[in-house]
Amino acid sequence: MASRIRDLILLFIILAPNAWAMEPAPEFAGQDLNSGAQISLASYRGKVVLVDFWASWCPPCLESLPAWEQLRNKIGTGTFEVIAINVDEDTDDGIRFLRNRPVSYPVLADPEGEIGKPWGVRSLPRYFLVDREGQIVATYKRFNPGNEARLEQEISTLLKQ
Amino acid sequence: MIRRLLKAALPGLILLYPSLPAFAATCSCAGVPVLIYLDTSAIEKGDFFASYTADDHQINDLVSGSDDVPDETGRDRASFSQVLSASYAFTDHWSVSALASYVKHERKIGSSSFGEVSASGIGDSVLLVRYSPFYISPFSRHELSLGLGLRIPTGENDIVDVFLLSEDMQPGTGAVGKIGWASYSYAFNQAATLQAFTSINYTHNEENDRHYRFGHEFNFSVGLSQSLGSRFGYSAVLRYRSTEPDRRSGFELPNSGGKWIDFIPAIRYAVTDRFGIALSGRIPVARDLNGVLQFTTSYSYAVTVSYGF
Repeated sequence: MASRIRDLILLFIILAPNAWAMEPAPEFAGQDLNSGAQISLASYRGKVVLVDFWASWCPPCLESLPAWEQLRNKIGTGTFEVIAINVDEDTDDGIRFLRNRPVSYPVLADPEGEIGKPWGVRSLPRYFLVDREGQIVATYKRFNPGNEARLEQEISTLLKQ
Repeated sequence: MIRRLLKAALPGLILLYPSLPAFAATCSCAGVPVLIYLDTSAIEKGDFFASYTADDHQINDLVSGSDDVPDETGRDRASFSQVLSASYAFTDHWSVSALASYVKHERKIGSSSFGEVSASGIGDSVLLVRYSPFYISPFSRHELSLGLGLRIPTGENDIVDVFLLSEDMQPGTGAVGKIGWASYSYAFNQAATLQAFTSINYTHNEENDRHYRFGHEFNFSVGLSQSLGSRFGYSAVLRYRSTEPDRRSGFELPNSGGKWIDFIPAIRYAVTDRFGIALSGRIPVARDLNGVLQFTTSYSYAVTVSYGF
């Protein structure tokens, strides 16, 4: 009985990140803080996209940014991309962080929540996995070092579909 | 006062302190304020929180109106409560919370064992539905939550120790309580590490089978909470509580009910990003009680462990 309850709890924990699974990803567009280019989520259709909301005051977010860089380098940008959305009220705070810890993937500024609100971002860290068809397949509320390994497996599974 | 503070804070220094129960709603359930441990803050769609609280409530201050009176009876009165609570959010706006309790009352008068009375059992439960029209997020500094609930008389209310024990010694009230409550929070920064909050709640108590009715209760709280880094946090709440006199068969019981102002400090420590431990205390600041003499709270403290899925 105890083991059954434990299994049910484990199953719940495993499924919890996917509570928002398979919803269309809200569209967004904006200027990449790195390159100055105009980008949109729609332009990445056909790739698996990791959409990561972050702020300079969120310590786990700052740990995740270099982890996504490594993940992106490992998987390659042919089939996968990371889009980071900075939600600092003062975008300069985010830009200052990126000067010291640059990333090569696109970063958009969203100080008013125009992107974050439709995505239902209530707290940070918050990142979403979007499949090739533009569907949100997983939502994550926490980041701990090592999470990227599990994410890599999930991306790999999505890329095989 | 300093002695009281030390009494309340000492267990915290030993145990560190956990994730904050929101001190928004409170009521007396046969003398046990179980609702205080129900988290009333807005939670996010799909979130599930569970917590366990152990509460030690010492009730040994003898008061006449607002004056402390020396107690020469050698009386010792305490309530120990264990409270399990769980909250789940169906949407970003709607959530439910449930609370179950186990209560033990002890009373000792004088040094003789004949003066000792103890009663324990399952206490009352609470079910609360919460609506949050807006909530704190990276894009909003304001949060409002409104709630309606019921205190369900699951607790034992007919324990006999030679004679049927008085209502304040029973683990349960034996009657339904209707609860209405609202809370508002404001975040001083985008990370919401410093927040001010206020809450108001009212419990309308029904009469039980023995025609006893606990006084209707009103609470108003204001407080501040702050997170220090990603692990530690604290809060400080000032709470005004007012209860009407209890009634039996419609007649007011003279030495019951009154007004209290309590200071409720709490500290918390997040062991992991899911698991937290917290310690809170309740320290009387002022009181003005009905009747000639009443025993009332000396202090209380509680340890809470919580887990979020």
